[in-house]
Amino acid sequence: MASVAAGYLPILLFLGVALVLSSAFVFLPMLVGRLTGTHQPNPEKLAEYECGFPAFEDSRAQFDVRFYLIAILFIIFDLEAAFLYPWAVSLGGIGFVGWLSMMIFLVELAVGFIYAWKKGALEWE
Amino acid sequence: MIQTIAFYLFAALVVASGTLTILARNPVHSVLWLILAFFNAAGLMILVGAEFIAMLLVIVYVGAVAVLFLFVVMMLDIDFAELRAGFAQYLPFGILLVLVLAAEMIFAIGAWKAGGIDMGSRIAPTPSEVPNIEAIGTLIYTRYLYIFEGAGLILLVALVGAIVLTHRTRGGVKAQNVTAQNMRRPEDAIRNVKPAVGQGVEL
Repeated sequence: MASVAAGYLPILLFLGVALVLSSAFVFLPMLVGRLTGTHQPNPEKLAEYECGFPAFEDSRAQFDVRFYLIAILFIIFDLEAAFLYPWAVSLGGIGFVGWLSMMIFLVELAVGFIYAWKKGALEWE
Repeated sequence: MIQTIAFYLFAALVVASGTLTILARNPVHSVLWLILAFFNAAGLMILVGAEFIAMLLVIVYVGAVAVLFLFVVMMLDIDFAELRAGFAQYLPFGILLVLVLAAEMIFAIGAWKAGGIDMGSRIAPTPSEVPNIEAIGTLIYTRYLYIFEGAGLILLVALVGAIVLTHRTRGGVKAQNVTAQNMRRPEDAIRNVKPAVGQGVEL
């Protein structure tokens, strides 16, 4: 247990350095602004500003349902790729049955891929 | 020692971002907090030695599922003020559900501490000499072959279902037809003319 996590110690250190640096860049200017007396907010300063006009409408726009289709196709083939990693690592030990099981899995998803292609689900006018 | 610190850091961040996921007023912010919770859960998984699960959390959950959630949130046209209005009305039912879940957790931890639950290591003890991902691979493609193929079939059904439900052909689309392009010969496309002086070309 310790050996696995110990290999990730450099990443943890890097994460710590990144956290300290990014929070310094965010909070140091605020602190300096308050200490030097330039922090004087007023309603005009804090008003939302969009090219000289007040904002016309909500920034939330409704998305087309086609984005959902793209996202779910991405999830499915992402999972397919994720299943390939342990298969590739353990291929030496699992023999022909293990190889064949992945081939059947790939064929199952290839059928789906051909279906999506033929239906035109991958096309974006 | 550093493992303990990392555990408490990741665990506290998971709990905090999970709480903010359900408390955030803007549903897009909820999804962003959920992504933070996924990242910290990946850190916890690395701490217990399950590297592959950690990578899956980052690749599949953060990379794909959270994006899907974002698209779904952006697709829905809901009045969120109206959605939050029934909080007091649903409160007793919610508290009941929380009590049931808490009781289940207490029972499960009690049974696990008493040694009653050790199914994982009875069926397939965790091998200590091979990496985690190789141990998963040796089991999933041989012993759990049918479940694995079943997962593939479920993915196929999800793919076909999503296409059937959301895909519709749009009129007025000028799609590329590669075969027609390749079948076109210069003779079909080019015409040599020799107009007389002072005359134009008939098109």
